[in-house]
Amino acid sequence: MHARLLPIALTAVFAFAGPGCKNKNADPYGNGGTGWGADGAGGWGNGGWGEGGNVTELPARDERYSWESGNVQRGAFSHVYFGFDRFDIAPAERGKVQQVASYLRQNSGKSLLIAGFTDSIGTAEYNRALGERRAQAVRSALIGLGIPGDRVQTLSFGEDLPADPGNHAANRRAEFGLY
Amino acid sequence: MPESTCASRLRAAHRIFAAASAAVAAAAAILVAAGDAAAQAEITIRGTSKHVISVANFSGSGGADAANIVRADLAKSGFFNIAPNPSGVYSALGGVNGSALAGTLRSPDGKELFSRRYAGPDLRRNAHTFAADIVAEVTGVRGIANSQIAFVAGGSGNKEIYLCDYDGANVRKVTRDGKISVSPSISPDGSQIAYTSYRSGFPDIYLIDLRSGSRSRIINAPGTNSGAAISPDGKKIALTMSWPGNPELFVTGMGGGKGKRLTNTPGVESSPTWSPDGRSLIFTGDSGGRPLLYKMSSGGGGPQRLSVGYNYCTEPNWSPDGKRLAFNIRQGGSHAVAVYDFASGRSKIVASGGAEDPCWGPDSRHLVFAQSGGLVVLDVDSGARRSIVSGMGASEPSWTR
Repeated sequence: MHARLLPIALTAVFAFAGPGCKNKNADPYGNGGTGWGADGAGGWGNGGWGEGGNVTELPARDERYSWESGNVQRGAFSHVYFGFDRFDIAPAERGKVQQVASYLRQNSGKSLLIAGFTDSIGTAEYNRALGERRAQAVRSALIGLGIPGDRVQTLSFGEDLPADPGNHAANRRAEFGLY
Repeated sequence: MPESTCASRLRAAHRIFAAASAAVAAAAAILVAAGDAAAQAEITIRGTSKHVISVANFSGSGGADAANIVRADLAKSGFFNIAPNPSGVYSALGGVNGSALAGTLRSPDGKELFSRRYAGPDLRRNAHTFAADIVAEVTGVRGIANSQIAFVAGGSGNKEIYLCDYDGANVRKVTRDGKISVSPSISPDGSQIAYTSYRSGFPDIYLIDLRSGSRSRIINAPGTNSGAAISPDGKKIALTMSWPGNPELFVTGMGGGKGKRLTNTPGVESSPTWSPDGRSLIFTGDSGGRPLLYKMSSGGGGPQRLSVGYNYCTEPNWSPDGKRLAFNIRQGGSHAVAVYDFASGRSKIVASGGAEDPCWGPDSRHLVFAQSGGLVVLDVDSGARRSIVSGMGASEPSWTR
């Protein structure tokens, strides 16, 4: 497990170092809108279908702590926003993820729940999967920043529970909950 | 119409049709020239060549009402015109005794085609079943009159699963959790519904046995579990699970569990739909940079792109006869429903203006979809459409087969 995580952490450092990194598939924030290998270039082959990338299995759930259970602290961090139909984390949003990583590094007893959401433009079930992918993109980025994946759980509400009904850009987001 | 095969019916109808209307015949010729002869000719002609049937009022208390249900069902099937008297046409006869219905169908030449007793506790349902049997006997296609539709209704954060008859009658609530219950898949026989509930605080798959009313949480892997699709034989569930660290497709048994993983991509896979034989799945995948349709073996293997002519395709639904696929596209900033014909390799838009989440009926001819918070049933072959549910915030319909 640690052997797998090390290269991810290294590529994350390069990704933060600046725009010089051209290897899209090594970028933990995905590439230009559609995720790792979305353009089929650089190793996924078969039009993007192939081996999975820098992903690690989710930890077992602790269902005492869920998004609406009241014992999860929401609002401690800024929401991460996404482009339409995208799950990559834009450069302007990455500082928010770094802040979360910094907090988790200093508070090793804390765990994180990331909830992914979408606008209401897409269809309902596709949006559930897309919201989950957004939450997982943030989780992957945190792992790339050195946070153990077993401290980070995800879920998706799709287009349900909009932050601002009708304001699509405000609803394409990942939110954080601490417990 | 005495012809016994579909092809001969079509040929005969086409002759009558062409003779009756030169303009429409010209339109048919254009369609033929477009290289889509078989599929388009069938569509054009099926919508216009109806069988004719007479349904006399049934004997017994409630007989007139029951006959009305059968007449309405046959008219809505798209396959029949209703005649006032039985000479030279199919005729349906019936007798009511309590909730039981004895029904007989005769051919245009007076020969008895079947005579059956429907003994269920609900006269309305018995009449629907008689109508579905008439459609099946005359057309060879499974009727929709006794089918059920599961759907979601409610507002954001508070959605429940509902059931209704195919015509929107008899709406009843299946879940009462006050949470988010979505993405229902009703089993082909109507006995079970698999759906996604956030009851535990996390999105999991639950299975309700509609006969006993019992409910069990069958899939509660970490992350998001959603998009359950019950297989045509009622023995498996295809769905999206994200526990690997990314949303991937899986197939499990009806009892859930970890199942067999089918995809391994960095993108989003969702909304699997089964082929009638259960061997294949079509689903939405975005590893090509946008949501597109892919086909793969339900036992695993490499997905192949299914080119249907649009570059944003979600929520595929395979017709029970295997011949067509309905799916969502985006058109002018709004949703539309398109239908792809496997034989011709061509697609056409059948509903626009925000139509979402199409699902075929058991006759592979009618589609139900959500639009403006209601449900609409569309006869894809004739274009006839009926609103069956309105004002409920309805979405994600799933039709028995």
